[in-house]
Amino acid sequence: MSTEREAPLAAGELAAENPPPKSRLLALLASLRLTLFSLLLLLAAVVYIYDHEGEADATLPLVLPLSLLSLNLLAAVLSNRTFRRQLPLLVFHLALLAIIVLVALGRLTYLRATTEVVTGGEHQSLERVEAGPWHSGARDALHFESLGFRIQYKPGLQRDATVNQVRWRDEAGIPRTAEIGDQVPLVIRGYRFYTSSNKGFAALFRWEPQQGEVQLGSVNFPGYPGNKDDQSTTWRLGTEEVRVRLNIPEQLIDPAAASGFRLPDRHDVSVEFPWRVATLKPGESVLTPAGRLVYVGLTTWMGYNVFYDWTMPWLLAACALAVLALAWHFWRKFALKPWQAA
Amino acid sequence: MEQRELQILWVAVVAYVLSGVVAIFGVVLKKSPHRFVLGTLVLGTALLSVSLGLRWERLGHGPFITMFEVLASNVWSFGLIFALAYWRYPPIRGTAAVVMPIIFVMLGWMTLSSTHEGHFPQTFRTPWLYIHVGLSKVFLGTVLVAVGMAGIILLRRAGIGLSRFEKLPADERLDDLAYRFMALGIIFQTLMLISGAIWAQDAWGRYWAWDPLETWSFITWIMLAFALHWRLTMKSSPAVGSWMILGVFVFAFLTFFGVPFISESPHKGAV
Repeated sequence: MSTEREAPLAAGELAAENPPPKSRLLALLASLRLTLFSLLLLLAAVVYIYDHEGEADATLPLVLPLSLLSLNLLAAVLSNRTFRRQLPLLVFHLALLAIIVLVALGRLTYLRATTEVVTGGEHQSLERVEAGPWHSGARDALHFESLGFRIQYKPGLQRDATVNQVRWRDEAGIPRTAEIGDQVPLVIRGYRFYTSSNKGFAALFRWEPQQGEVQLGSVNFPGYPGNKDDQSTTWRLGTEEVRVRLNIPEQLIDPAAASGFRLPDRHDVSVEFPWRVATLKPGESVLTPAGRLVYVGLTTWMGYNVFYDWTMPWLLAACALAVLALAWHFWRKFALKPWQAA
Repeated sequence: MEQRELQILWVAVVAYVLSGVVAIFGVVLKKSPHRFVLGTLVLGTALLSVSLGLRWERLGHGPFITMFEVLASNVWSFGLIFALAYWRYPPIRGTAAVVMPIIFVMLGWMTLSSTHEGHFPQTFRTPWLYIHVGLSKVFLGTVLVAVGMAGIILLRRAGIGLSRFEKLPADERLDDLAYRFMALGIIFQTLMLISGAIWAQDAWGRYWAWDPLETWSFITWIMLAFALHWRLTMKSSPAVGSWMILGVFVFAFLTFFGVPFISESPHKGAV
């Protein structure tokens, strides 16, 4: 990267300032022309990523240009005395190096996932997990309970603030509660849980088998209001697959007015067995050859975006340091010759 | 749009046009109507501030959503930053002949844009919006000032207005000053990217996701870094440096005024 002088130097002075590196390889790696080439390579990689958005992992195309830039930075810092004379420039380039290393570590250890939690229930497992090969976080130790949420809508079904009450135990085992949202995450062991636009209704069932223990479970219907015309899903009850459909005979969120997400005043659920369809209201049940299925009632579920990247605060610090050092460098450089005289 | 906002907006447009026209004629006729140019530029910016302020008060949010709002707020920041440069650096005042036509294009586009109200998403309700947008405007404004100088260098190289631009500093001096504004630009653009990443982390649960606007901003940053390194490494002529400044500005312009309106990315707040 750049190796600017503070003030113009004569050719001989420049040679004395920066004697040629002993190794030709080091000289090549430290050259500013390699910086230019690496930047062009980085540009090509970014254009490739843009052109193949969503088709391929964005990490691989960046490996070569960022590795080359790292080598270039390292070689320049090691071989160019200007860096030892100009502290801001040295700090800037070291911070850039730190950013590249941290980005690489972040990509190797990050996690991105989603999860759905029923109101009153506890987070069970992560879904649609995308993680770096070195991710080894404590994702099995992530427990929290959703206590319910409020969502306001503006006219036109425009989702406004989401406020979700959650409860969890901190690492000392002390119970905690908080209100989180799309921009205020719940952070457990570095994993950040954000509420999302994905949320809906869940039917609570009690299964009383002829043999075995009574079980309480929930079936999450598709997101609402995004899928309000198709509130059905399949569910495995014992050995049979049944379809459960939520019927809401009222308009819950008025698209023409300010409104809020709420449970319906009236509703029922249809449970479609292979041999019959049972329509149930809360408290009603249906007998099957294997036992009794009781519809307990309707509740809600919230979908969360989950993100883990331990490098974030360090990355922020390195970025802040880089930009401060760059500003310091330019300040010193431009102060040598007033702007009016430039 | 409320009648009063519109009336004030149109007076601001007239002030900007007057400023630009007089600046251009000043160069052509080799006159120095600097006080008038600066006065009308400041007047236009002040009136646009009032018009946008009234709209802000009425809608309950700043000019961040619709094409009209984005254009109007950038005309405002361009006017403000160029007025500051015009006031502080008298030798480069002739660059108004290059800068003002760019502002004219934006004014024309703005007046043709619908003034309807846009949805202000929940993800925009954060102080980071103001920090991120503010930094981006300073970045684009500083590059605009550099473009003014680059334009003069290129016009001279093309043999256009040689005598009319003779009051302006020599190409080498303009090139040096333009480089300083580009250096300011990369600092503010880097800060813009950092603040955007902080905002994106809490708005969408990730600090970087290669969405089109993020990618274009990063491409612009790489081009700016390349231009600064090229100047340092190749010791190229002011003309080559000027072409690079223009290239950076074109990419930045497309990023600001093209990508957000053709992309369905979360940057539009549609989540």
